[in-house]
Parts: sequence; structure tokens; C-alpha cells
Amino acid sequence: MSQTILKMTDIVKDFGDLRVVKGVSLTVSKGETIAIIGPSGSGKSTLLRCINGLNKVTSGVIELNGETGMVFQHFNLFPHMTCLENITYAPIKVKGEDKEEARKKAMKLLEMVGLETKADVYPAHISGGQKQRVAIARALAMNPDLMLFDEPTSALDPEITGEVLNVMKKLAEEHTTMIVVTHEMGFAKEVADRVIFMNDGEIVEEGSPEDIFENPRSERLKAFLKSIIRS
Amino acid sequence: MAEYFSQFMPFMVTGVKTTIILFVITLVLSLPLGLPIALGERSRFKPLSWICKFYVWVFRGTPLMLQLFFFYFFFPFTLDITIPALPTACITFVLNYAAYFAEIYRGGINGIDRGQYEAAYVLGLSRGQTMKDIILPQTMKTILPPVVNEAITLVKDTALASSIGVIELMKATQSAVNRETDISIFFWAAAIYLIMCSVLTLAAGRIEKYFMRYDAKEEY
Ligand SMILES: Nc1ncnc2c1ncn2[C@@H]1O[C@H](COP(=O)(O)OP(=O)(O)OP(=O)(O)O)[C@@H](O)[C@H]1O
Ligand SMILES: [Mg+2]
Repeated sequence: MSQTILKMTDIVKDFGDLRVVKGVSLTVSKGETIAIIGPSGSGKSTLLRCINGLNKVTSGVIELNGETGMVFQHFNLFPHMTCLENITYAPIKVKGEDKEEARKKAMKLLEMVGLETKADVYPAHISGGQKQRVAIARALAMNPDLMLFDEPTSALDPEITGEVLNVMKKLAEEHTTMIVVTHEMGFAKEVADRVIFMNDGEIVEEGSPEDIFENPRSERLKAFLKSIIRS
Repeated sequence: MAEYFSQFMPFMVTGVKTTIILFVITLVLSLPLGLPIALGERSRFKPLSWICKFYVWVFRGTPLMLQLFFFYFFFPFTLDITIPALPTACITFVLNYAAYFAEIYRGGINGIDRGQYEAAYVLGLSRGQTMKDIILPQTMKTILPPVVNEAITLVKDTALASSIGVIELMKATQSAVNRETDISIFFWAAAIYLIMCSVLTLAAGRIEKYFMRYDAKEEY
């Protein structure tokens, strides 16, 4: 059995009187790619943000073996830094990496996401898809043990989601451990090892992509999948 | 003509010097002093935040001239020390302008998207690093125009120091006009104020360009 990276037990998250996550347990092993799907407002982002502390859990236990990196829907690149500086800043300032080493590694990552020519360009001058690829490189530069993606393609025009999904697919093939909250059912079906369906703050169903997409058991998942196909 | 100038110019030059000293000292000290006040206002440590908010409330909410008179009497009356008029004016101006700059900084910081803090947090930056390297640099271009505005106001506000006896440009002009019974001297004073403001505006334009460098360029 491979190493456990994340073990969440009975996670509850309230915002004031509103219970958004209602006792979720989830274990993630090294190298796994997990897709979280579910209707809007079901608590997917909140659950993800509990993992790295962006949201503080109300109750429950999170055991994390390693560090996390995160990619946001709206990229959140630092606009006053070039793409390269966006990637090298944290390794240098937080991890104390050597500047030249950090730069070399950043260039490799930029190459990996196909943006080596944009190293010295400011984020305002590149497209959304390119921004998201830089954001992925920025997160990877910290060598996280677990990558969290919160709808990384939702802010992008449909025709350019592919360039971002391809990078993520490549990461999955290299056995990067990742949790991806996504509305891209194609990606979940094709790339995820395990798909988790959340509804109303709970995990309703989880299993292989075939289990979830070909043989949904619960009515709620069936209804959700139907609504996805219709839209 | 030469005689015309020599009558009042030396006096005016001394006044201009004093005005510039007051202006530079105020700007150089109040610009940085505004920052800890702004950060204090935002502090999660409530007493600190209250003190800073109170400070800004008082200094922005009362006339600068009242503050000038207050400090003019405060030092001799309560501390039994005499401080000359110019240093008293400098202290008052610094405290007053720091409050205005603090408000500008606070507005600039509040204008930064929450996503920037979240990105910094997930990369493991400390709060200090986040503020210094991520948030504050981004506020520069939004705070610059109001800061320049305040600086231009300050050029003219220096005239208020004459109320406690500082012989700056305004006071010097007034005396010269009295002595020479020649109101054309007012135009020379006006010209000097205008030149100072114009220099400021030009310098600001340069600085602004620098901070705009990372913005999306307009299509040419
Ligand atoms: N900071 C917050 N304060 C109060 N309520 C919040 C906060 N963040 C999220 N919520 C609420 O929690 C619920 C779940 O939100 P969440 O963003 O986790 O859903 P989601 O599954 O990610 O939805 P989406 O697909 O639209 O992103 C929503 O009702 C939302 O309004
Ligand atoms: Mg969400």
C-alpha cells in the first residue's frame, strides 16, 4: 500500500450558522489524482481550502504528510512581478533557495508548461490560459507533495481550457498527487484515478470514473450527471 | 529693474528657503510615518487599531491651523521648553500629513484583491513578506495620484505656518508688499508657488510611469 499523503476525518465547516461541509472523510495516497465534482455551492471549494488552512475547520482532523500547493480559479498571479519572478519569489524568499538555482528550475517549469518565451513578461500581457499555466508552474516550484486545483479552467474561454488541462494531465501521468475540483467531466473521466461526488456538504458517492459516470447509484448523482449533459 | 528686485528679493529668497525646508521635512517624514499608522489601523490587535484610527480622526478632523497653535503653546506650557516656530511647524505638519497619507495607504491596501493574500499564503509567505513584497508594491500606482495631490496641497499649506510666526514665502511676501507698497510682489510669490507645484507634477509623472510598467499596454 502506498504512502498516505492526506487523511481527513469527519471534517465539518460552518460559516456562521451555515454548515457548508458536513462531516467529510477522505484519504489520498501518494500519486493519486482525485477529481471532486458536484453542483455549485456543495462545499467543494470549502473542503479544498480546509486542507491548506485557507479555511479553518470547525471540527474534524486533518493529517497532512507534506506540503500543499494550490492553483486558483482566478490565477492570482502577482501582477507586479514577471512570470519568472512569480515562480522564483517563494522558493527564494520562503525556502531560501539559491537565486540562480531557483531561476533554472523556474525556466524548466516554464518549459514544461510551454511558456519559456514568457519568462520576462508581466502577467497582464499574457492570456488567461497562459496565466493559469504560469500559476501551475509557480505552485510546482515549491515542490509540493499535494497539488490542489480549484476549478482551474472555469475562468477560461472554452477553447483554451485544453492547454491548461493538458498540463494537468501531464502532471497526473508523472504521478503528481492532486485533488482537482472541476466542472470538466471529460478531464475527471479521463485523468482521475478516483472521482468524488459532493452534494450539500457531503460526499455522496466516490469511486473510479467508470463507477461514477457509467454506473451512478444515487439519485442525486444521476440527476447531477443529467444536468451536466443538458448544459 | 535691478533696483526693483534688490528691494525685496533677498527677503523673498529667505522665505522660499524656509517654505522649501518645511515642505521637504514634512514630506520626507510624514510619507513613511503614514505607513505604520495605516498598518496599525488594520491591525487585528484592537487597541492599536483604535489608537491609530483615533489619531487619524483627530488630525484630519481639526484645522491644521488649530494644530499649529496647539503645538506652539503646548511645548512651552506643558513641557516648559521653548521650541522655535519653524521646528514647531515641522512637527505639526508631519503629524498632520502622516494622518492624510495613512488614509491614502489604507485605501490602497484595501483595494488589493483578496486572492493576492491567498496566493501568498499558500506559497508560505509570512504576513510581513506578503505586505512588503506583494501588497504594498501593488498599491503604489493607486496611491501615487492622491499622494501627489496631498504634496501639492502641502506646498500651499506651508503658508499656514506664518500664523505662528514662521517667516516663509507667504509671510515674506506680505512684509515685502507692506514695506514696498507694491502689490506686484504678490505675482512673484504666486509664480514661485506655481513653479514648485509644477516641478512636483512633472516629477510625479515620471514616477507614475515607472509604476505603470507592468500594466497591460494600451494598443498603439
Ligand atoms: N467565506 C464564506 N463565508 C460565508 N459563506 C461562505 C464562504 N465561503 C463559502 N460560503 C458558502 O458555502 C457554501 C459552499 O461554498 P463553496 O464555494 O465551497 O461551494 P462550491 O462547491 O465550491 O461551489 P462552486 O461550484 O460554485 O464553486 C456556499 O453556500 C457559499 O455561499
Ligand atoms: Mg468552488
